[in-house]
Amino acid sequence: MMEWIESVLHTTVQMGTVYLLASLGEIYAERSGILNLGLEGIMIMGAALSFIFTIAYGYFAAILMSIIVGVLMSLILAVMAVHMRLNQVVTGLALTMLGLGLSGFIAFPEIRKRILLALNPALPQEALMTQEAPKLPEISLPVLSNIPLIGESFFSHNVLVYFSYIAAPIMWYILFKTRFGLSLRSVGEDPATADSLGVNVYLVRYSATMVSGGFAGLAGAYLFIGFHPFWQEGLTAGKGFIALALVILSTWNPLRAILGAYLFGGVETIQFRLQLFGFGAQSPYFLAMLPYLITILTLIMISFENVRKRIGVPASLGIPYSREQD
Amino acid sequence: MSLKIRTKFGSIKIERRLTYPRHISILTTVLAILLSFAAVAVILTLMGINAFEAFAVMARAFIVPRLLFESVKQSIPICLSALGIAIAFKMNFWNIGAEGQIYMGMIAATGVVLLHVYYGAFNEYLLLPLMTISSFLLGGVWCLITSFLKSKLNVNEILTTLMLNYVAILIVDYLIHGPWRDPKGYGFPLSIAFPNYAKFIFVLDSPAYTGLLISILAAAAVFFVMKYTKIGFEINVVGHSLNVAKYAGINVSRVIMLGSFLSGGLAGIGGLSIVSGIIGRLRPRASPGYGYTAIIVAALAGLNPWLIVVASLFFGGLLTAGESLQASMNVPKAATQMIQAIIFLFILMGEFFKRYQIIFERGGNGS
Repeated sequence: MMEWIESVLHTTVQMGTVYLLASLGEIYAERSGILNLGLEGIMIMGAALSFIFTIAYGYFAAILMSIIVGVLMSLILAVMAVHMRLNQVVTGLALTMLGLGLSGFIAFPEIRKRILLALNPALPQEALMTQEAPKLPEISLPVLSNIPLIGESFFSHNVLVYFSYIAAPIMWYILFKTRFGLSLRSVGEDPATADSLGVNVYLVRYSATMVSGGFAGLAGAYLFIGFHPFWQEGLTAGKGFIALALVILSTWNPLRAILGAYLFGGVETIQFRLQLFGFGAQSPYFLAMLPYLITILTLIMISFENVRKRIGVPASLGIPYSREQD
Repeated sequence: MSLKIRTKFGSIKIERRLTYPRHISILTTVLAILLSFAAVAVILTLMGINAFEAFAVMARAFIVPRLLFESVKQSIPICLSALGIAIAFKMNFWNIGAEGQIYMGMIAATGVVLLHVYYGAFNEYLLLPLMTISSFLLGGVWCLITSFLKSKLNVNEILTTLMLNYVAILIVDYLIHGPWRDPKGYGFPLSIAFPNYAKFIFVLDSPAYTGLLISILAAAAVFFVMKYTKIGFEINVVGHSLNVAKYAGINVSRVIMLGSFLSGGLAGIGGLSIVSGIIGRLRPRASPGYGYTAIIVAALAGLNPWLIVVASLFFGGLLTAGESLQASMNVPKAATQMIQAIIFLFILMGEFFKRYQIIFERGGNGS
């Protein structure tokens, strides 16, 4: 029984980390007033690039590239949403479609082979054809991993999981306790006032969007090399949108995102376990609906004015800002 | 006020246009399509693929009769959903849930067929009309949920429509793995095949012709509703300015709910056209993202119903072209997905040039 709980918790953390990483960045973008609907597309590009670069050059290059591609893709969104003041919803969707198409293209066996050869001509034949990549090694932390129950579940993971443990509180601290965080939140709340107080609205929104892109790319890399290193076209399968949902569930707070991420991760884990047991063949579909339904419920809850005020929902989310009156 | 960048040789001014000239929108649309093909040509060439050969293979989707039929078939769900999206977008209701509404339409249509086949309900001739009505209703209700939340509680419709897409897909998964699975289907997750009289093939026995007729009729209906009816007028006013609508005494929440119901209903019929025109049964993941492609189509067509028919034929063709590209040249069909996405991005950027003009002024140090 103990072992079973441990393994469920372990997988929960593994699953949850995908959502946690992606939503940590998205919280920043949304707090600054930019809704990055390109999350799904950025994640899958991160996964595809981490696949190719792990094989070509190893983990470090893979993780670095996935972050770079995330930042670059979100830069497109930032230019279009901040400077060109275009609709963020459709722009983000376009970015998601771009990511889905481009990742499917570059990871297609024939194309991937050519890219790999161009990157590293010395690769052996089987490395060119494989759909799999080596998984990031799991490191058991000394002392901590010996704690009963918690040790196995939380402290024997790969380095990206540990990064998420550290990143969440740091992101929380920056957002709520520093000057930059204050500017960021004020830009998302009322850009005109922030501007009049000397905050560079465009700069803040650009940087927040790029943070969200970098984290989404990293989440994609984690999903692939850190969790399930087997390439399938469209392997994110809506995980980016679940992360988007998690941002709402966490009410734009990085610390609450941890709880939400493991809640969603847990739901997904239990769903697979039930399938393994052949436990109620239909239940997995209803369990899989839970994250979406929980999100809709959360959206309804935060629609009430007093709840909004208490939580601090970014009031200017999705609204372009310019100094001119239009 | 306008943004002005001064350089040594003159200045560049970005100014808001007072009117949106028609030739600019045509120009930006054509440019968007050309630029995206150019961008993909560059990517293909970089990968060592002959881009001209690839485009020639793709062009066959619009020329070879067999493939053209396929393209037309693929265009129908896209067209119907895009018409619905156009209504929603006209009133600034960002319905990105066409995909889910398509799935609900499929559920309704299949449900009616199963009631008929399993329990002998309904007359054969009543079947198609009933399927149409029920898929319209269920698709409409699926969208109505979000507009109800939007107009009563001010819940953001972008996220709710998006979330409900996944819920709808999972409901189909459940039904098809559970109660609706074909008992003689060797355990495959498929419903029974629809009988012929439950298929949309009444024009020349062809789903392509029938579908095209339905697309055109739907476009005509949307055109008529938007142009000549009270609700169409109200939708336009609400989209133009919420304040004007309120001053004019328009019941905004009623308009949004009714408009979104029509919007979802059209996508629901798009779902019907998939199960009863393209596949002939229900299966999981029956839509490869028609509902998302439809958003691009609606944007490309500038929300004009007639242009939506044309644009969806183009995108239906792209889907078919992707299949032949992969089959005959070993070039991934994702290439056409890239084309779609890049067209979308360029169209959106084109919006900027429609709204703003860039003026270059010559002169010493900028004036």
